[in-house]
Amino acid sequence: MSSDVMRSSLPPAGSPFEPPPRRVNPAAWWAGLKRFVRSEPLGAVSLALITIIVLVAVFAPLVAPYDPLLQHRTRTTEGPSGDFLLGTDDLGRDVLSRLIYGARSSMIIGVLTTAISLVLGTIIGVVSGFLGKTKDLVIQRVMDAIQSVPPLVLLLFMAVVLTPSIEGTIIALVIVITPSFNRVARAETLRIREEPYIEAARATGASALRIMTRHVLPNMVAPLLTMSSLLFAGVIIAESALSFLGIGTPPPTPSWGLMLSEGVRYVEMAPWMVFAPGIVLSMAVFAFNLLGDSLRDFLDPRLHR
Amino acid sequence: MIRYLLGRLGYGAVVLVLVTVFVFIAMTFIPSDAVDLMLADTGASEEQAEALRTELGLDQPVHQQLAGFLGGAVQGDFGTSFYTNEPVVDLFLDRVPVTLQLGLLSLAVGTVIGVAFGILAAVRRGTRTDGTIRAVAVAGLSVPNYVVGLLLLTVLGLWFAWSPPFVYTSPTEDFGSWLQQMALPAIALGTSAVAGTARMTRSSLLENLGSQFIRTVRAKGASERLVLYKHALRNSVISVLTLLGVNLGTVLGGTVILEQMFSLPGTGQLIFESVQNRDYPVVIACTIFYAGLFVVTMIIIDLLYALVDPRIRAAREAGK
Repeated sequence: MSSDVMRSSLPPAGSPFEPPPRRVNPAAWWAGLKRFVRSEPLGAVSLALITIIVLVAVFAPLVAPYDPLLQHRTRTTEGPSGDFLLGTDDLGRDVLSRLIYGARSSMIIGVLTTAISLVLGTIIGVVSGFLGKTKDLVIQRVMDAIQSVPPLVLLLFMAVVLTPSIEGTIIALVIVITPSFNRVARAETLRIREEPYIEAARATGASALRIMTRHVLPNMVAPLLTMSSLLFAGVIIAESALSFLGIGTPPPTPSWGLMLSEGVRYVEMAPWMVFAPGIVLSMAVFAFNLLGDSLRDFLDPRLHR
Repeated sequence: MIRYLLGRLGYGAVVLVLVTVFVFIAMTFIPSDAVDLMLADTGASEEQAEALRTELGLDQPVHQQLAGFLGGAVQGDFGTSFYTNEPVVDLFLDRVPVTLQLGLLSLAVGTVIGVAFGILAAVRRGTRTDGTIRAVAVAGLSVPNYVVGLLLLTVLGLWFAWSPPFVYTSPTEDFGSWLQQMALPAIALGTSAVAGTARMTRSSLLENLGSQFIRTVRAKGASERLVLYKHALRNSVISVLTLLGVNLGTVLGGTVILEQMFSLPGTGQLIFESVQNRDYPVVIACTIFYAGLFVVTMIIIDLLYALVDPRIRAAREAGK
């Protein structure tokens, strides 16, 4: 997919000498959100789903019926009931409460990883695309190298290097995700660099730094936003896969991947131990994928009729 | 063309050297020493530990270790396992066929289903079928492939009392048993490739169907079937090929976790066990080998482009 498909829908405001608007206007955002909901109903659904997941993660102590680590010793592997809506696990812990707290680990890791990689990848991509020539070549080969190791293999390798912890997981994921942001940011920079308003800015004597931050960056917000949503979904999957393999979030912190791997051993006695985290995990990933998909359609001016 | 191929190979070599450099730099961040971990329970003396460090070359600064590794790599020596003392190359080559079988089978499953969905969606554009396929495709993309594997195992095991054989047999030995064992992980891994392939096939087909040359084909009175399969679909092969490359990384990575789950003796199992045992030489070499697999396959896909599309061939022969 060529990334120039996803160009920003707004032409630079006013004359080419006038920089694009730089302050975020809340009213405009609100109007944009309303337009998005109207033109992308599926996207609106996913946005609602994400809001719910985030709220549940933030207010986990208020929402969860039990302490996720509390072991109801006499009521292990009990099926869903009025007391335990999604049943209990092999240690008698409430599956629903563990799912709710698990959303916390997923969201914290997802938000931090995506945000850090977005910033890092964009800086690398813009600077690399802007400098061009040898420096660009060297930076991009390094990025290629990181991307040539399959993501999960790279994560396994990083698991040897870093101690298993939330910080370790985030560092490893940032290394895996950053090249993808770099790729989008660089492609956009190469496109924007040729636009007449950049030439105009140069002619007025704007410094490279000013051109990058004031003119190049604001014009690649759309594709980066789409990418963030899609990669967020990838991060959730990767985090759960690492926990599933026992090298991600260390127990007993509840996490969806960990719950899945614990559930496998009891699948015949307590299938809800596998189905509940499996479905919740997939729903979360689905929401972010769908949001990314809808954003792509929404922000692509070629599709507006 | 040959110059182009040489260029690609050179680029691949550069990328692999960079991967190696990255791996060795990263290794310096290991919190505790490998030898300490190995000897933790054996009660070995500090001198013995020192001797082992010297033997393994861990007492050298990182650039010397790196140079030593690259020097050996050129001669086909990628180090030996801490535990079994076998050359890592042999360990990897013993297991790589299983991983390649699984990877290719999953890519085939994902591509066939994805292209079929894509054709259906394109032909019925704008109808409910089209919308359903888009939703199903995104849903398929969203269930992590190891969860698909897990659910398949659970459902088949619980309700149909069927589980795949747990001892690997090679396809030449017993094809039926091999297929039974490969089917579930291949389906699980393939699902993640379906969504992208379906979307790409759909948009590329629609683009082709709306183009001038299709109008000409229609004007000469060709049947819709001929228009679709012979003319439009052929021109969409390129975009599907591009996606093969994108899916490759996911599939190769996914084999790690699915081999674990379905006890397939592939390279994924090798690297996972080595990570758990802290068998550093194997982990280092396997990471680089995986990158090698990826790079080589990307070059093959690149060559396939030229094979499929004469325009690309001509451009490459003229240009580079």
